[in-house]
Amino acid sequence: MKKIFNWLFYGLKFLLLIAALGLTLFVLIRMNVRLEKNMMSVLPELIPFALLLILFIVNMIFKQKGVNENIFYNLTCCLVLATIVCVALRAVLDTNMVLNEKYGYGVDFNFFDNFVAYINIMLYGLSIANILFMFREKEDKVQKSKKLKKA
Amino acid sequence: MKKFLLEYANVFAYTITGLIFGLAFFLLFINFYHMQELAETVDVSSYNDTNKATVESKIETIRNNISVYNQSTYTGSLNIYGLNTVQLKLQDCLEILESEDMMKYFELDEIGIKDSYNFTLDFKNKILNDCLVMQVKSMFNTDTVSMLPNFNVIKPYVELNLDTLLDSTNYVQSNIENSDHYYFSTETNKANFFNLVDDSYSDVMNSYQNSLDLLVEVSNWYRNVVLGG
Repeated sequence: MKKIFNWLFYGLKFLLLIAALGLTLFVLIRMNVRLEKNMMSVLPELIPFALLLILFIVNMIFKQKGVNENIFYNLTCCLVLATIVCVALRAVLDTNMVLNEKYGYGVDFNFFDNFVAYINIMLYGLSIANILFMFREKEDKVQKSKKLKKA
Repeated sequence: MKKFLLEYANVFAYTITGLIFGLAFFLLFINFYHMQELAETVDVSSYNDTNKATVESKIETIRNNISVYNQSTYTGSLNIYGLNTVQLKLQDCLEILESEDMMKYFELDEIGIKDSYNFTLDFKNKILNDCLVMQVKSMFNTDTVSMLPNFNVIKPYVELNLDTLLDSTNYVQSNIENSDHYYFSTETNKANFFNLVDDSYSDVMNSYQNSLDLLVEVSNWYRNVVLGG
């Protein structure tokens, strides 16, 4: 059961990361177009997403069990990315927020802007935790110590 | 030593993950909560019925007051250009008051934050700007109207009330716009928010009624001027 949930969260975190990245990019590009700012200024906001994506790919390629089989980490990733998706969707679709319509942009930048700092904190935090979870004792060493204990 | 460091790194990683879990959990659920708060509606059916009746009666009073003058039948000694100007300006105000854009708010049974906000904006744009400033205030700045009796009495009265009315709904608009900003909520702003829809609507409605009262006063002055002259 635990394994099923783990693989579910593992798969979901990739999908949610792509969705969160896409929606955040959409809101930021709309905001920059509106403010007539250079598109390059969007890039720093995407660094935490790119970093996390690279780490996920590294975890997958090198089959790092410390991360891939860590259900708590995978669940937290899903929760963080779902929060980002929810915030971005509300900024676009929640028309009860009056500033969404007031300026006629179709996106409530004020609302999204409130959460940008939290998004960065959460994504950088997940990246740091990911790197720390990578380091663990080699499995053969662990097995050896277990055998010794049994003997 | 290496084993200790690895274990320490693991504990640290779990701590960071736990803190982020808590923050994400909080932000996700506060978003659902905020979404529900914004979707809150208030029943204003009985309140609107009473207000609609009052507004219709005031509009009728203004219409009756300005209809006492007819240029083709007027035989008095007052300046007809002045009388015409006042009648036309008040007639324009009546059209704005009776427009569908303004009357639609009295047909609503339930209002949400968006309705309160739109009502505030329409009141400011149509009643305050298009009617009171563009028609009534400009009317009192014309030379022909200044020659009418009791002009010196009605003008300061209108200007004083107009200044109060122009600022009366600014804070309502800012309050509603600030409801889009949602950080960590406190009991105070939660309590304020639950009343925001209702309070904003009532405040703007009060200003609306005060604007009508001002127009009724102006139309009463006009009636007295016409009948007296």
